Amino acid sequence: MKGKFNLSKFSVVIYWLIIIALLGLFFSNDFGLVDIHKTAIITAVGVDTDTDGEVLVTCEVAVPQPSQSGDNIKYTRIQGSGLTIADALNEVNSKTGFYPKLQFCKLILLGDSCKEGELFRLLGCFYRKNYSELTALVAMCDGKASDMLAMKSPVTDMTSEAITKALSEEIEKSANATSTNLKDIAMTQYSKSKACYMPYVEANTPGTSENGGNGDNVGGESGQQGGQGGQGGQGGQGGGGGGESGGSQGGGEGGQQSSQSGGASKGGGGEEMEFTARRTAIFADGKFKGFLDERQSFALAILEDEIRLAVLPCDAEGVHYSVGLKNVDGGVSLKVENGQPKLTVSFKANAQIQGARVVVTPNETAHDDVVPEPVLRGAEEEIKDRISALLEILKENNCDILGVRELLYKFNTKYFEAFKDDILSRMEVEYQVEIISVN
Amino acid sequence: MKIKSRQLCFILIAYTAVTKLLIYPTVLATFCDRDVLIPAVINFFIEGVLIWAVSFLCSRTDKTFFELLQGTIGRIGAKIVYGFFAAFFMLATIIPIFEQKLYVHAIFYDTVPSLIVFLPFFVFAVYAGAKNFQNTGRCADMCLPLFIFTMLFIFFMSWSEVEWSNLLPMFTTPAQKLFTGAAGSSMRFIEPCWLLMFMGHFNYRKGDAARLTLSYVLGALITLLFLAVFVGIYGDIASSRTFAISRTSIFFSAIDTIGRIDLIMLYVLEIVMLFAVVLNIQLAVHALKLCTGYENSMVLSVAVNAALMIVLIVCDNYFHNIQEFYFRWMWIAFLIFGVAIPALSWVLRRRNER
Repeated sequence: MKGKFNLSKFSVVIYWLIIIALLGLFFSNDFGLVDIHKTAIITAVGVDTDTDGEVLVTCEVAVPQPSQSGDNIKYTRIQGSGLTIADALNEVNSKTGFYPKLQFCKLILLGDSCKEGELFRLLGCFYRKNYSELTALVAMCDGKASDMLAMKSPVTDMTSEAITKALSEEIEKSANATSTNLKDIAMTQYSKSKACYMPYVEANTPGTSENGGNGDNVGGESGQQGGQGGQGGQGGQGGGGGGESGGSQGGGEGGQQSSQSGGASKGGGGEEMEFTARRTAIFADGKFKGFLDERQSFALAILEDEIRLAVLPCDAEGVHYSVGLKNVDGGVSLKVENGQPKLTVSFKANAQIQGARVVVTPNETAHDDVVPEPVLRGAEEEIKDRISALLEILKENNCDILGVRELLYKFNTKYFEAFKDDILSRMEVEYQVEIISVN
Repeated sequence: MKIKSRQLCFILIAYTAVTKLLIYPTVLATFCDRDVLIPAVINFFIEGVLIWAVSFLCSRTDKTFFELLQGTIGRIGAKIVYGFFAAFFMLATIIPIFEQKLYVHAIFYDTVPSLIVFLPFFVFAVYAGAKNFQNTGRCADMCLPLFIFTMLFIFFMSWSEVEWSNLLPMFTTPAQKLFTGAAGSSMRFIEPCWLLMFMGHFNYRKGDAARLTLSYVLGALITLLFLAVFVGIYGDIASSRTFAISRTSIFFSAIDTIGRIDLIMLYVLEIVMLFAVVLNIQLAVHALKLCTGYENSMVLSVAVNAALMIVLIVCDNYFHNIQEFYFRWMWIAFLIFGVAIPALSWVLRRRNER
């Protein structure tokens, strides 16, 4: 009978019980359980600044609601202000009792006012240890971020989700937006290039689209401006194709600035809005430098992102075509030859005709995959024009968002010190653009 | 109660890597910029040679390290050396325990960063610390598959985000910084000391020296690959990202849709990390047992863990000071225990040689 209670017999069982119990303690967070109604998840943050440098943070908060119907999350907006974003979040805490964590924050929206300040002074808070994951998308918006987050969307109750859709991976893969997250902008900013970019979100009245355009226009009536096609509006290009974009290149800020309050009241007043992000805000040394228009943003996207299918409007033999580009492979490389830096812009894609401004005949559409040579050359010229326009604005602003200095440092290190200051204006550019037919 | 050479191989693969996946990559990125791999390769090379030396020594004698010491410098001398080893293993456990505490708080607990929630670890540590080497081997048997599975998953989830050119240009960091990085982080490279303690506690079979060395090389390669992935993902901002293992997989595209599935892998890997931390405690208890001649492992385990717990409680808010102290000064202890003693183990008298 004595041996029956030998503890060593049960040591393995005890061992595993202790492990399971410890795992339970560690991973279930049972100690940390709090009343769900006292927690809230911040799904998006809008940041505006005033002239004194004070930060106004608008948090879109998902608040769990007791519900039998399944509609158990309410989205609300809470504002806080302070000298840093952390101060503002603390105010949110003091107002609501919510414990503001940014682990689930998917979108950081910077208002137009943030153009005036130092970008990474504002965003620094998000890079502090464990404050938020660096996967959150970052975008600048037309007008006040607080107003944009207050707008309603026909797509979803969650405004930030509607905005995020305009920055989604799918849109990025069609070169219609250049989405970036906290990691991307910090990596390029703190690289040798010291520059970064982010998409510029604009709100449009649903169901409208500006007349004309060559495929670059989306939306139409600006929800912020209450007008069409002006500087900074979403109008895009003139009809036919090949015309210059209506989007501003840094110079269009004034128009947007002055029109904010009206737009905000319009959007925030209950009218549903659509969001687009066809333009791109660029920064160098943390300072705002301007906007890339739709064509330049497209050029940036095809060089930087992985593109699945991009639609390129182009002209050939007097006819306007919409060419679909597949298997896109674009990028830049840098060499120093005979003491001269040379940037090679390479772009390869397979093309198929998706639309043409001619009367369609059924027997011709069967051959859309066999693209005529003039259309291919027209598409190549359009790509070159767009990339050239992109390089021009980067050169003007000495804004190295393509990472040319980083390339110089990585692959031609010995020339870095000599060329780092003026490489954008000094370098030669060679285009290797090749578009071939799908079949 | 012997451990099997297979289990030692598992320890050298899994525990070598998991003890270097939290703050070590960040520390290296801080000191060595894009050249993070160089100091790591230096440390791994030195320790790899020593692992081979110690495991080859095991092929020449059946004796334990304590018996070798006893035969050379006498029983008292051996006890003193083992006393120092016990202290060394306890010192080597302090940083990993702090790392674990901070990691568990930061990654698994969002809102309750309290010391109390970590202290139950010591219940486990006391129990496991009192177990013999056979038990250590069984744990290694359990940990290796978990480690391999989770690391494969984490690498898979991280791979698409890696920009390998972020490691370029290489060899641009001044040599002084590279050696500072290597020396400062050397206390994490104590695997030859583990092997010294296991000497004579496993049946050496022909080829085990090569197997043990290759296992260490595999563990080193996994660590180096992870370092490359980490810097490949974060580039110049890698130095701002602590708890590296939890930072690389978050960009996996499916996470947006289905949530942080990588946390499941991190939970599993945490189990391996805990066993790796506990190994040092087990070895400290083992060394203390031989030093004092006191046979009750449980009492010694309680004593070791109590000491560690007091350090943890007293220095709860001083991790950075401790880390800096270790970075600046503990390379001396590493040089003595991690390099000199394993290297000098060959000069110990080996009667009854094979």
